[in-house]
Amino acid sequence: MSNYIPTIGVEVHVELKTKTKIFSNARNGYGQMANSLTNVVDLGYPGTLPTLNEEVINLAIRAATVLNCKIRREMFFDRKNYFYPDNPKNYQITQSRTPIGYDGYVEIEVNGEKKKIEIEEMHIEEDTCKSAHRGTRTLLDFNRAGVPLIEIVTKPCIASSTEAKLYLEKLKELLFYCDISDCKMEEGSMRADANVSIRKNESDPFNTKAEIKNIGSISNVGLSIEKEIERQAKLYDAGETFKPQTRRFDDKLQDTVLMRVKETGNDYRYFPEPDIPFVVLTDEMIEEAKKGIPMLPDERRKVYVEKGVLETNANKLVQNRPLSDFFNTLLEEDTDFKIASNMLLGDISAYLNREEKELSETTLTKERFLELVKAYAEGTITSKNLKDMLDTILESDKSIAEIMKEQGIENITDDSEIRGVIQEIIKNNPESVSDFKNGHDRALKFLMGQVMKETKGKANPRLANEILLEELKG
Amino acid sequence: MEEKLTREELLHVANLARIKLTEEEIEKYRVQLRKLLDDVEKINEVKGYDDDILIACWDNNTELRPDTEGEMLDPKQVIENAPHHAGNYIEVPVVIGESEGA
Amino acid sequence: MKYLNKGIDEIHELLKSKKIKPIDLVEEAFENIENNKELNAYITLNKEEAIKTAKELEDKEVDNILFGLPIAVKDNICTNGLRTTCGSHILENFVPIYDATIVEKIKEKNMIIIGKTNMDEFAMGSSSRTSYFGAPKNPWNTNKITGGSSGGSAATVSARDVLFAIGSDTGGSIRQPASYTGIVGMKPTYGRISRYGLIAFASSLDQMGPMTKNVYENAVLLNAIVGKDPRDLTSANREEEDFTRFIGKEIKGMKIAVPNFLMGDVVSEEVKNKIKETIELLKKNGAVVDFIDVKYLDQAMILYQIIAMGEASSNLARFDGIRYGFQAENVKNIEDVYLETRGQGFGEEVKRRIMVGSYLLSGENAKIYYNKALSIRDDMRKEFNKVFENYDLIIGPTSVSTAYDLTDPMDDPRKSFMDDVLVIPANMAGLPGMNIPVGFDKDHMPIGMQIIGNSFEEAKMYQLGSFIEKELNLDLTPGGEK
Repeated sequence: MSNYIPTIGVEVHVELKTKTKIFSNARNGYGQMANSLTNVVDLGYPGTLPTLNEEVINLAIRAATVLNCKIRREMFFDRKNYFYPDNPKNYQITQSRTPIGYDGYVEIEVNGEKKKIEIEEMHIEEDTCKSAHRGTRTLLDFNRAGVPLIEIVTKPCIASSTEAKLYLEKLKELLFYCDISDCKMEEGSMRADANVSIRKNESDPFNTKAEIKNIGSISNVGLSIEKEIERQAKLYDAGETFKPQTRRFDDKLQDTVLMRVKETGNDYRYFPEPDIPFVVLTDEMIEEAKKGIPMLPDERRKVYVEKGVLETNANKLVQNRPLSDFFNTLLEEDTDFKIASNMLLGDISAYLNREEKELSETTLTKERFLELVKAYAEGTITSKNLKDMLDTILESDKSIAEIMKEQGIENITDDSEIRGVIQEIIKNNPESVSDFKNGHDRALKFLMGQVMKETKGKANPRLANEILLEELKG
Repeated sequence: MEEKLTREELLHVANLARIKLTEEEIEKYRVQLRKLLDDVEKINEVKGYDDDILIACWDNNTELRPDTEGEMLDPKQVIENAPHHAGNYIEVPVVIGESEGA
Repeated sequence: MKYLNKGIDEIHELLKSKKIKPIDLVEEAFENIENNKELNAYITLNKEEAIKTAKELEDKEVDNILFGLPIAVKDNICTNGLRTTCGSHILENFVPIYDATIVEKIKEKNMIIIGKTNMDEFAMGSSSRTSYFGAPKNPWNTNKITGGSSGGSAATVSARDVLFAIGSDTGGSIRQPASYTGIVGMKPTYGRISRYGLIAFASSLDQMGPMTKNVYENAVLLNAIVGKDPRDLTSANREEEDFTRFIGKEIKGMKIAVPNFLMGDVVSEEVKNKIKETIELLKKNGAVVDFIDVKYLDQAMILYQIIAMGEASSNLARFDGIRYGFQAENVKNIEDVYLETRGQGFGEEVKRRIMVGSYLLSGENAKIYYNKALSIRDDMRKEFNKVFENYDLIIGPTSVSTAYDLTDPMDDPRKSFMDDVLVIPANMAGLPGMNIPVGFDKDHMPIGMQIIGNSFEEAKMYQLGSFIEKELNLDLTPGGEK
């Protein structure tokens, strides 16, 4: 197979996390009884008219901002006309001439190099209803009809399946972090289409493209792009061509399959929507929307590493939004961030997974967590203590000190008591003492072990270590 | 001047509008539509206007709706007016091909 | 005893003093409708419900001037639980599950909806003959058309069946039948009345309005049905006003423009002469009347054809036989559901307009026709604005002729647009337009004058209208006062 340069563009539809639909006040919900979340507007009843949900505009401004788009200050909507049973009015209200956002980018890192994936435009539109095919009949559930969407369209500037995947991961992370969407590809709240064409040389004009529709996961986007490049390359190698077409990714075949060859182009008969007057965005609206933008993932990673968190842990934290949000509340505090991150990603995550709980469902507060981290950092508690205490810490409101007391984890921090024990041990282990003096580090560990054994693990390890060294040297 | 609205064009338009035409209707509508299209063709003779468009005589910009839930229909009402339904679903003969839209 | 030919103030007093009850009015209305059955003014009567409502009202206080009065509603306005057909086979058995905002307002005033009036299918036509339910007839001469598309509303008010009717006007559909039947019809400013629940023909042009036997009652009814509606983003947010407030006031010094286009060759001599007589009357009473040129008026019909049919092709796409309405029998696949349902469900005029609209928006045509039409429309509105910098009102004839025969040919697809050539400009520019009867032709068929006002200046139009009405003092009851 010869080498070709792929040109890829990605279109993503994202369902917005609003309480109600875009053009009606019926609930925006998922997984409910069929046709239980609709009103006459969603069903396209004669005489009904659209209203416009302010939260949709708010979230769209937020999305445009984090995608580094320019924001249009005055816009209208357009009607896209086509007949399909999932399209209640047989036209979709969308933005074709005046998309709310345009000329943006998302930055990704490919093989250590930063690259901007350029966003052509992002616009607001309504989702269709859900149809299920049963033999010779199709069943329609209008709960999804009118759910708000934003569609984000990149320029054809993506050069590989890897870049496409990185872009989608980044996009998903951004939209999820800004509470714009759940971005659950498995539930369809994020859907991706990829446009793929290939050519021999950079200087050649673009070749025919194929559009792969509604791909169900990010990894399948990657796979379908690779398969599509392969398919097109084989055709060109054999001296063949193909017509512009729409394909889909087949999970079982793990390959793209033809849906339809595009006719002379779809005739959507776009025209301005007369039922919705101009939408004008004020400075206040834009400021308000931006307030909803939290610290973004890249920034979080950077700050965490600066605070001493391991890079792998910084990444893990960002991947777990509730933990990361919790972690962010600590950033102004004077604490050991490395220990804090280890604790959150280690024992606390293990607990949450086991109990199938969210962090917010536990009793852990910022103050109690700081107390815990401090106790651990100072050696007042050991990692074993932590494991023993954790359930109680996360399920009751008691202070850490109180729990320690209850569970008898009263560590010996009394200098003279520990010193007494150590002096006794040194006396009884002359061999180890001389080993230590001869430079055998292992002897120190043995002696510490003896200290812990003698104190039944209650000695503050750091303190014990200090005293032991003093006594040995002295 | 080339002939306006060929048979093919008429059939394309009828299909866009999803209106089935009988053989007689095709010829009748072709003649009638041509008359109307001759009228609208005159728009190209109008001169001197600027590029601003008037979509509708809106007195105000869009006033956004608060994101609060209102009353919804009972699924029974949804299916009540539908010619065919199965359970809570509205039913149509099987759809071939995927949605073109969103 | 007849009450419905009396003025509403008198009826209100009778109701208030308990001399009559709402049920008396309702029964009389149905009696009248039965006697005038030949007019075919109604598609659906709301008899049971109307009687029930009237009886319920007996226990309520007569709290407003419209209380207990019967009203007819055009059949493209959704009424919860009451069949709404739009004059079409495709909605022949459609029963809405919600009330239009205007219907809610009518009910809030405790008016009683008598029935749903006949109309051109989807309001597309100018003679009401495209109705699936047969054409309504003109009470002045039952061989004549009522005009359209609000023909049933015009006929039933003209015949004095009821006091009021609601019509809708996309390109003259209130004013033109009002002129043919000798009644007062007002198309208010675009946005005055919420369109929520009005089955859309052309969204940027549609507006409902009152059709009544006189100016005062028209203004009173308008008071009750206007207002901003959160369900219609295009409804206007305007301060409440009393539209009757200038009625009875002098017109001395009023500046009135007559666009030469409205008095052009297409208008019959009889109509023109009657308008000229009225102009003389106005001048005699101190109004300043100037004949002026208004640019783009001659293009309004073309703009209308492009914009109205374009929008209609999209608005009527929802009638597909899936969620409501008629669905063709024996359909095998979804494409047949669409093609057969719409092929069988729509009448000829509607199909023609949907196809033209689809054509005008298809492919490159949207640029060639539609966008251009929106641009010229903008300039036309600016021209009107200029006129209103110097004039209070615009007047001219409402129709090019008086009502013609029901049997006149219908095969020219341009005819219905030509009929409306004088009334369309107001819709294109969103301006209020009103018909006021000013006389009769040689066959004693009514002639109407059109008053066009600046946006939201309906009160001024009523001032002029009521002045003319009082001065002319015409007998506007078909067949003479009974």
